[in-house]
Amino acid sequence: MARTQPKLASVDGSNLIEIEQVVKTFSNAAGEFTALRGIDLSFEEGEFVAVIGKSGSGKSTLLNMFTGIDHPTSGKVLVGGVDIYAMSESKRSLWRGRNLGIVFQFFQLLPMLNLLENVMLPMDYVGMYEVNERPKRAMELLHMVGLEEQAQKLPRAVSTGQQQSAAIARALSTDAPIIVADEPTGNLDSRSASHIIDLFAELSSRGKTIVMVTHDPSMTKRTSRTVVISDGVIVNETIAQALPLLSQSLMKELSNKVEKIGFQPGETIIRSKESIPKFFMIVSGAVDIILQGRGKDNLIISQLGMNDFFGEIELMRGGKSIASVRAAADTPVEVLALSREDFSWLMEASPLTEKSIGNIVQKRLEEKKQADRRKRKGLFGRKAKTE
Amino acid sequence: MRPRWRKVFSDLIDNKARTTLVVLSIAVGVFAIGVIAGAYRIISDDMSVSYAANNPSNIELRMDDFDEDFLNTIRNFDGIKEAEARRVFNIRIRPLGETQWDSVDIITLQDFEANEVNLLVPVSGATIPQKNEILLERDVLEKMDIAPGDTLEVQLRDNSIKTIYVAGVVQDSSTGAVDFLAPPLAYISTDTLKLFDQPELYNRVFATVETGQDDDNHINIVLSALKDKIEKNGYGIGRTFRSLTHQHPLESTINAVLGILMVLGVLIVFLSSSLIANTLSALLTQHLRHIGVMKLIGGRDKIIFRMYLVLLVSFGVLSLLIAVPLGGQGAYALAQFIANKMGFLLLGYRIVPLSFFIQIAVGLLVPLIAGFVPVVNGSRVTVQKAISGDTADESGEQDEGGAKRESRMEKFQLTATRILADRGIRIQRPLLVSLRNTFRRRGRLMLTLFTLTMGGATFISVFNVRVTLHEYVKDIGNYFLADVTLDFDTPYRLSEIEQFARQDPRVTHVEGWAFSGADILYPDGSTADNVSILAPPAASDLVNPLMVTGRWIQEGDEKKLTISEGIYDLYPDLEVGDYLPLKVYGKEESWEVVGIFKFIGMEGILGYAPYEYISRDQNLANRSFSYRIVTEQHDRAYQEMMAEDMDAYFRDNGFHVQEATPGLSTLDSASESLDILISFLLIMALLTAVVGSMGLAGTMSMNVLERTREIGIMRAIGATDTRIITMVLVEGLLIGIISFVLGLFLAIPFTYGLSWIVSTAIFETPIAVIFTPMGYGIWAGLVILLSTLASVLPARSAARLTIREVLAYE
Repeated sequence: MARTQPKLASVDGSNLIEIEQVVKTFSNAAGEFTALRGIDLSFEEGEFVAVIGKSGSGKSTLLNMFTGIDHPTSGKVLVGGVDIYAMSESKRSLWRGRNLGIVFQFFQLLPMLNLLENVMLPMDYVGMYEVNERPKRAMELLHMVGLEEQAQKLPRAVSTGQQQSAAIARALSTDAPIIVADEPTGNLDSRSASHIIDLFAELSSRGKTIVMVTHDPSMTKRTSRTVVISDGVIVNETIAQALPLLSQSLMKELSNKVEKIGFQPGETIIRSKESIPKFFMIVSGAVDIILQGRGKDNLIISQLGMNDFFGEIELMRGGKSIASVRAAADTPVEVLALSREDFSWLMEASPLTEKSIGNIVQKRLEEKKQADRRKRKGLFGRKAKTE
Repeated sequence: MRPRWRKVFSDLIDNKARTTLVVLSIAVGVFAIGVIAGAYRIISDDMSVSYAANNPSNIELRMDDFDEDFLNTIRNFDGIKEAEARRVFNIRIRPLGETQWDSVDIITLQDFEANEVNLLVPVSGATIPQKNEILLERDVLEKMDIAPGDTLEVQLRDNSIKTIYVAGVVQDSSTGAVDFLAPPLAYISTDTLKLFDQPELYNRVFATVETGQDDDNHINIVLSALKDKIEKNGYGIGRTFRSLTHQHPLESTINAVLGILMVLGVLIVFLSSSLIANTLSALLTQHLRHIGVMKLIGGRDKIIFRMYLVLLVSFGVLSLLIAVPLGGQGAYALAQFIANKMGFLLLGYRIVPLSFFIQIAVGLLVPLIAGFVPVVNGSRVTVQKAISGDTADESGEQDEGGAKRESRMEKFQLTATRILADRGIRIQRPLLVSLRNTFRRRGRLMLTLFTLTMGGATFISVFNVRVTLHEYVKDIGNYFLADVTLDFDTPYRLSEIEQFARQDPRVTHVEGWAFSGADILYPDGSTADNVSILAPPAASDLVNPLMVTGRWIQEGDEKKLTISEGIYDLYPDLEVGDYLPLKVYGKEESWEVVGIFKFIGMEGILGYAPYEYISRDQNLANRSFSYRIVTEQHDRAYQEMMAEDMDAYFRDNGFHVQEATPGLSTLDSASESLDILISFLLIMALLTAVVGSMGLAGTMSMNVLERTREIGIMRAIGATDTRIITMVLVEGLLIGIISFVLGLFLAIPFTYGLSWIVSTAIFETPIAVIFTPMGYGIWAGLVILLSTLASVLPARSAARLTIREVLAYE
């Protein structure tokens, strides 16, 4: 009798995927290479997570760990409370067919089957749904991804965007609670990519857990969470994005030194002409940089957003703050703060980062000068509200 | 080594399975052709040399008893070089202590030391038998377990049993060669004749001619003149044989058989070359990226073509290393086997230069020819295509939007599936994958089907031909329907023999037959050949002839006969109602041909006339030397028992029994020779089947290799090991089944063709073809087994692939 209701045991309604201390080492003629270095990670039910990282950072290897595609060298992977590496490869295939829907970068539809048959194939493999029910269900899924008209065509007779939509329909065919996508938009034009992300967002809103690997940070805008992986370790996303030139070890060390601070909308973070004790990196929200005029004539010269940093000019050049920094009026701000001593240590430890921040300091000072000039000439269009 | 040659070298050794497959498929063809070409050459060289080395007689006369004086008359006859007289008689022997009797022809030589014609070649033991000793021809050893030094029991006419010492074993390539159905031979000296109760007289002449020993016309002229002379001297001549010195009497038959084997050998080469073409085009497809990179860094078409040409030659050289030594050994083994069966000696093991060169040519040319098109196409591919790997012939045409249109075949498949689904027949997708995979690489499928179908059709045909031949021999048995043939030394009255025979309740019918020999003359009066005229009672039911034209004999026929098809060799335009010039007992007569029937051509020409006429003509009315007895049961064992019982019974009652033979024994030698031929054909058929299944195995591994990524995808979406293995097995089986269905049809012309060639070679006449379900049944089982075996390994390796490995193919 065909099964019709797949359901993964969610561990107390919390973590659906648990990755504990996973290390993956590859051996080849050139020696050993560690792709994952003790990863701890979990995904909750209903999350839409983007795993991002540069090429070769280990993101696909990480994905292979919890899809059961590859073995970890050490560590444990639990999906729905099941230790997937306790099963044989063959049983794992069946398990995967029932519990995971996988979407590949190159779509990977079987070329000899039409789109409808491709969508039905996983149901046949895992024996899910009654035989007569399968075509109907596959057609519904194709309808959902907008391919009803193309159902009888072979994959190569449709566009790449349509192939990826069909691949998503296939991933959904066994109603697996988890959808895993490896660079699903990597091979698509921007319009098709946007359509695919829309589809994922909709699925996520219906309760599917979606884990998407991508090297394109712009794809993270629609996700509920982003995991950044670099050289085989999970790093703080803000640090990785704000200071990309840091080595993996420094990023990891820095993660332990920063302090997360929250500010209400409109709350002042730095006052002009006061000494600054910290370096700030924006985790969420935005801040306004305000030039203090005479009297109450304050002007916003720029706005900084997620993964931007501030406070570096004063820490590097010494002296008092040259502008005020305030949480944007419409949203609360969360920042990571690093003490003056730790900042000095960081600059010493990473000359590349120091140079890069130095350049930004130069650029910002230049911008300030121009702003000052414009201010004098009364060219500013927008006045900041008086505190 | 320059990098490009290092690449060729690593292409050879990196994928050992593929290299082995290609090398073996070339080697099978080279081996087969080497064996057959070598054996052909060895046999055609050695058979005539070995035959001629024993100074075979050009003339053999089977005649009334004569003495030494008359032999001198023959020796002095004009045109005769050497002549030896011998006494030949049939007797039954068995090793001491055994119960089973076997019939042998005993040949008495005047003087072993002065033996000049039909020389005996020593095999083991003594070469000259002393008084009361016997030499056995090698063939006897096949019938019984006996060696020099052992003792034989012989049964004499008066039923008494005596013993004789076996002095040695010899080989006589000449004496038995002319008679396809003759029993094995044994030799004694004249001193021993007394032991057998035989007179010291001779009944055969073996003579050579002075000139024109290889000129049949000349020999015939000498023979005709000699016969006249002998008959004028009052001696009757039963049968005569002519042979050329340098031509084995069965040479044309053996050559015909080897010819058939050669055709099959060429077929195997042909099949293996399609296998090679298949493998090489897959190899080139796999190497497309390499070719692209080589071109990108400056490799020209010519360089790449040369590299792959060297690879092809390397495959050829490797296969030659295997096939040439094996082929040489195989050729000699096959020649030795045939020589043993045909009773001649080979001149010794040697490498046959012709076969050696043929093998080298085939081994080098076949991969070059088979691989030429794939290599040329591969080396001409553009860099862009090579790098993108976009050369798969399964792609349809490109549309403007980037998508490709479905091919006609794909459209047909999709439509067919939809129509079936509309009618409620839903093929599950995993099965659909196997079905459609089968037709994806159509070029490859065609070549695989070609090899497997040819193998299957040959296999089935061999079985059909086997039954056809045996059925024909069984039909020939319709000329020998009596269960026991009882021959006497003197004629007895029909009623007397019938009365005695009927005493045994197991005997149901007795007939007396007469016999006459005659010469068939050409219109100019010269002798063309002998005809043995058998004369059963006109109403006899013991002959059930296969008439070609005309009618069977009737009571009242006088100087009328029905004659076997062999007459067409002498009179190709002979028709029923024509008169045939015959010389009967020295008298030229004209006999009307009333019918023509089928018989084994190489047994000479046979005629039938009614007993009523022949016995009267011979003054033997109501008497006969030879009787046919019908018993209650007709199986071989019963016939043998009855022959022995009749023999003993008549001897006990004082009759001079010459021989009692079981009816079916006449066909033993014919059946045995057929079995040898059939086993050769079967071996060749199996070889073609093996080549076919190697083709399938190659195709399946190439398919699996090319579809590795797809298998990974199936794994990723839930396919278990069983699913993957089933998918590959179903595809292999499907190819097997398609080839079986095609083979069913192809086997029809194959059966007709093969049976025509074989029957013309063996029986000198085309025979009615019979189809047997056995070949089809065995091949169906075999093709399923072979397809499964050919797919199991690729299927298992497919199931073993982990998805990560598979996705790494990207």
